[in-house]
Amino acid sequence: MIQPSNALFSINHISDVLLSLTVLSVLLSLGSNRLMSLVKIMAFQGIVVSLTPLFLEHHEGLLENTNSIFLLLIMLIIKGLVIPILMYAAVKKIKIQREVEPIIGYHASLFAGLFFILIGAFIADRLHISLPMQNELLLISAITTLAAGLFLLMSRRKAITQVIGYLMMENGIYLIGTALAKETHTMYVVEFGVLLDLLVGIMIMGIVLHNINSSYNDVDTALLGQLKDN
Amino acid sequence: MLEFTMLIPFLTGITAIFLPVRLGRGILVLTALLHLLLTVLGWLGKISPALPQYFTVSNEGMLILLVTSFIFLFISIYAVSYMSETEISSEPIYTACTLFFLSTMTMVTLADHLIVLWIAIEATTLMSAPLIFLHRSKTALEATWKYVMICSVGIALALLGCFFVVMSMNLGGIHVPITFSSLGAVADKLDPVWLKAGFIFLVIGYGTKMGLAPMHTWLPDAHSEAPSPASALLSGALLNCAFFGVYRSHQLLYRAGLGDFSGNILIGFGLLSMLIAAIFIFYQTGYKRMLAYSSIENMGIIAFGVGIGGLATYGAMLHLIHHSLIKSSLFLSAGNVLLGYGSKLVDKTGNMAKLFPKTFTAFFAGFAGISGFPPFGIFISELLIIIGAIQQGRGISVSIFILALILIFAGASRLVTKMCFAPCDNPEILVKENWARTLPSFALLAASITLCIWLPDSIYQTILAAIATIGGGVNG
Repeated sequence: MIQPSNALFSINHISDVLLSLTVLSVLLSLGSNRLMSLVKIMAFQGIVVSLTPLFLEHHEGLLENTNSIFLLLIMLIIKGLVIPILMYAAVKKIKIQREVEPIIGYHASLFAGLFFILIGAFIADRLHISLPMQNELLLISAITTLAAGLFLLMSRRKAITQVIGYLMMENGIYLIGTALAKETHTMYVVEFGVLLDLLVGIMIMGIVLHNINSSYNDVDTALLGQLKDN
Repeated sequence: MLEFTMLIPFLTGITAIFLPVRLGRGILVLTALLHLLLTVLGWLGKISPALPQYFTVSNEGMLILLVTSFIFLFISIYAVSYMSETEISSEPIYTACTLFFLSTMTMVTLADHLIVLWIAIEATTLMSAPLIFLHRSKTALEATWKYVMICSVGIALALLGCFFVVMSMNLGGIHVPITFSSLGAVADKLDPVWLKAGFIFLVIGYGTKMGLAPMHTWLPDAHSEAPSPASALLSGALLNCAFFGVYRSHQLLYRAGLGDFSGNILIGFGLLSMLIAAIFIFYQTGYKRMLAYSSIENMGIIAFGVGIGGLATYGAMLHLIHHSLIKSSLFLSAGNVLLGYGSKLVDKTGNMAKLFPKTFTAFFAGFAGISGFPPFGIFISELLIIIGAIQQGRGISVSIFILALILIFAGASRLVTKMCFAPCDNPEILVKENWARTLPSFALLAASITLCIWLPDSIYQTILAAIATIGGGVNG
């Protein structure tokens, strides 16, 4: 499926390495319970994901376009620097170290992560016919990241972990966007994903300003969990 | 320069932050009047968008814009009196955010570009979140968090949907601006598989905002925690705007010859929303939550009607108008009840007929209207949807539809009769009702009755033109 290449460090190889790192960071984040390490993983993932478009075969014209480079740089700064720093500040502020009692345990989460890779491979395989380029690894890792992010969002109680899940999902969407983007005008559509980062920033600010610890059904903090249908 | 309808609320919103409270309230009403004036001018075709590559005057958009502008005027009049009775730490924030909210909703209704529509809907989330959090209580915080979180996930999925639509464009080898109008013109050349995938994600994304089940979970919390004028806006205006996104997507699919596919998805979501609302409305203890579930039901009805096509589409558009009028009136009355009894629980209220005769009249009439009794418009719209569905031979769907309507009426009437007629344990009235806070409710209800008896020809023609794009019409 992956195109063989003659040169040892061809452009495809670098992108494959980046994508593997992305999937690795997804699995790491599913298994990790310390919030600080989660933030670090997300910073790493943000950098890797925003670098990926540079090394894709079907984006080769990218480097000649100053606008695209500029947008890429903005993505890198936001995903790799601004958001992680905000999250770091939030974790410091709310003084919680680890996620206690996730709704779905860490081993089960890891297993789910592996399952998402399978699903991603299945979907990428099915869509094979109508895709513009051959890089299926990109689509697989994109779907894995998206699904794992959604999973993290739903299976954790702490507000900050939910935001991290959302961020991961958003990275997945960005990857899918780059996987599908071929024409230049599509690239600009993908870049609007940066507005989702704005939402993330606002959510983190909400956490910092209002000391939101966890969302529903948490007995310990009982801050969020009052609204129910009964 | 139809864009002024967006710019003016935005600018007055910024000024309202710095103005004293009383002046801010005046600005709110003044802006509402100005907005309605500009909207009417837009209706008459006197002004048109200055940036045609991003904004356009679509029939359905203008319809939703008119409804939004109309109810906003009455809600802002109500808000002036409501805000002086409640203790809110930062009223300028309320005024400013309401105006920003109006501005972003206007942007939704005028948007033609896929991404502009997406940005506008995201902006409505951001601008309305502070409104829900206005009371700064723990429950308000939870409701706001849920609202922002769930709607953000929805909006992210909608972006994915936009990618897929663009993808279908690439595969079809088309180079046109990514606007609904230019895509609609070349819809048959778009790649159908990716277009379908795009539609699914767009419906899930915008449907989250619209309150379609099973993505509705934020809606009861947000509507019950927001101050009543904001709830009325959320229910009467915001849900329509989200529906606009769904409607435009459905339109695109219909043009591409995939109308059956998208219609069936809408019918499925619509019926599911109605059933979920019917089940949950039975167990409600709060009257604002009850109204919120009723909104879910009504959005389900609209999605169902649009999905069915034909005559039902006309019914769905009428339903949209009347639901906005009646539901916002109900939320305004609920605000009076909340002020009067100081509780959102049905158990803490009672004997409204004696204690609050004006509010009682508005609330009970509104309840009759929302349940589909004549002379209110929902009677006609639901009847048309049922007839339309039967015409199309959708026997099973229409029986589920009617069953859900009956269940919801039963569930809601239990609570409403309790509120209105049951003896009240604690007949202590915190804030007396007054005309300033009941007249807007009456005016909205009267508008519904008027439109039921006499529908102006321009509105009738606009509805017909809007539904013609998805194969609807009054002749079945």
